Amino acid sequence: MNIETAQQPSGSLAIQTHQLRFRWPKQQAPLMFPDIQLHRGEHLFLRGPSGTGKSTLLSMLAGMMLPEAGSMHLLGTNLSELKGGARDQFRADHMGVIFQQFNLVPYLSALANVTLPCRLSSRRRQQAQGSPDAAASALLRDLSIPESLWHRQVTEMSIGQQQRVAAARALIGSPEIILADEPTSALDTDNRDRFIELLLTLAHEHRCSVVFVSHDRSLANHFHHQLSLGGES
Amino acid sequence: MSKLRLTLSLATASLWYRRRVLAMVCLTLTLSVTLLLGIQYLRTEVRQSFTSTISGTDLIVGARSGQLNLLLYTVFHIGDATNNIRWSSFGQIENDPRVDWAVPISLGDSYQGYRVVSTNGQFLKRFQYGNDQPLELAHGQWFSNLFDVTLGAGVARQLQHQVGDQIVLSHGGGRTSFSNHTDLPFRVSGILETTGTPIDQAVYISLEAMEAMHVGWKSGVAIPGRTLSPSSAEARSFTPDAITAMLLGLKHPIMTFQLQRELSQFPDEPLSAILPGVALSELWRMMGQFEQVLLGISVFVVATSLIGLMAVLLTIQSQRHREVAILRAVGTSPGLIAGLYSLECVVLALVSCGFSVLIGAAAIFTLSPWLLSHYGIHIGLRALNPDEWLLLGMVPVVAFIVSLAPAWHHWRKSRALSFGNSDSN
Repeated sequence: MNIETAQQPSGSLAIQTHQLRFRWPKQQAPLMFPDIQLHRGEHLFLRGPSGTGKSTLLSMLAGMMLPEAGSMHLLGTNLSELKGGARDQFRADHMGVIFQQFNLVPYLSALANVTLPCRLSSRRRQQAQGSPDAAASALLRDLSIPESLWHRQVTEMSIGQQQRVAAARALIGSPEIILADEPTSALDTDNRDRFIELLLTLAHEHRCSVVFVSHDRSLANHFHHQLSLGGES
Repeated sequence: MSKLRLTLSLATASLWYRRRVLAMVCLTLTLSVTLLLGIQYLRTEVRQSFTSTISGTDLIVGARSGQLNLLLYTVFHIGDATNNIRWSSFGQIENDPRVDWAVPISLGDSYQGYRVVSTNGQFLKRFQYGNDQPLELAHGQWFSNLFDVTLGAGVARQLQHQVGDQIVLSHGGGRTSFSNHTDLPFRVSGILETTGTPIDQAVYISLEAMEAMHVGWKSGVAIPGRTLSPSSAEARSFTPDAITAMLLGLKHPIMTFQLQRELSQFPDEPLSAILPGVALSELWRMMGQFEQVLLGISVFVVATSLIGLMAVLLTIQSQRHREVAILRAVGTSPGLIAGLYSLECVVLALVSCGFSVLIGAAAIFTLSPWLLSHYGIHIGLRALNPDEWLLLGMVPVVAFIVSLAPAWHHWRKSRALSFGNSDSN
């Protein structure tokens, strides 16, 4: 299944996969994935019931798992050909990741959590406007995290605030790709819509492509493209 | 380099975050390392203090006997002499051209269980202990009159004597004696400074006084009417017939072995001459066995607490699954995560070592005056020696080795980490 793109803002592909297949150990049937072609700056909504391999696909795109067969190119790089360490560095340099919940390192302050990618990637550090701290402050402000919480333990924050801090971490240093694995599932409706709006607005500003996984169909209209896994469309 | 800085800052932040649980582990480790280091330190100190019980003396000469026996009764006041040395022999040896000085010692009496050492003024001048420290008087003077007695610091402290007190010596050794020299009381003329050696546990009188006390004594009993009164004793002059042992200092230490051999073949009577340093080391080798056992036990204590540390780390590990998932997701390599683990362990061990040194130093600093005044044991504060540094350095090294188990586990798990299982766990 190909994603038809109406326009090509950057002229290059952020994500391109071809006949990806993955098999869990000790499982008979492999998971087959539809092909993806996502241009830079565009947002993809990925949905499907559980067990259809949404998280598996994200893990492969993040370079944390390798497909059994098929190819995947991210920003023109064939991820399957990279060694483990290079994939980790590629992820640090070019990707932001948001989990369902528990996104933050508990012993770091909100600000330190946000600047973490800049400490692992010189590329992200250079791309952060001003210093990493300044960029993190700007992002936290944009995501309306009260300044009083910036230097506090992240465990004192509400889940909504934690998810927004996680979004700031994903966005810092303007990585080309943001992978979000059901980041709104723990939020109520108001918080959910606000979160997606903020994320996509800031992603647009930073020219990031977003791959957003959710089983909540109502969110699909926020995105340029949608793709459903597990046969249904 | 920045990776290392990141690992270090993450490790310290993580340790601080878990400080409540880890404080207990750190405490256990600190106490066990303190024990280990303390035992090693005391071992060195006690051996040092033991082997420097006597110094500056080249030879100890007594009647023919074993090396340890001679050392024990002359220096440690344990056991008895096998025989005496004739006074004439003493004169002969003292006048040997190779001999710089000679101190006569006569034993046999006691005071409340403490040995009476009869000697002369040379003893104060020549006897040295520790790093060639001379004896010094804390109060009063060294005996000068016939019935003067100088007390060791321990005796004075234990029996609460002061300069000017009158005391009565007993015939023979032992704490309770039925034959006392009641007719001839002694006056305390001085008290020696604490040395931390057996010197503290003896009283010192002149050779003449020893002679005077025993005029009119036969077979250990005073014969009524034959003993002297203080005034009549002071009117006479005494020359001892025999002494128990003598300490020798040579003009050239290189002559020591030559003279030792000659004294062993002394023509007039059978003598033994020993090198105090050699005899002390031999004695320590015999007594030093138990300290090895003690050190061995403390090594096991440290090993136990390190295993405890590993157990705690493995328990914490299950709580750290999410944190590892986040770090992996932002691009941290499995190696860095394993390194984080090992580093935390090593930092914990280093903190424990630091605390141990501080606790140990504080304990020695506060306890050493008390130990010296109550038990006459001198334990000084000093820099750690290479052996102790080595022992201390082993702790973080072993902690690192111990940490490899959880670190490897983390490395393996974090390699296989992905989106799905990072949330479900």
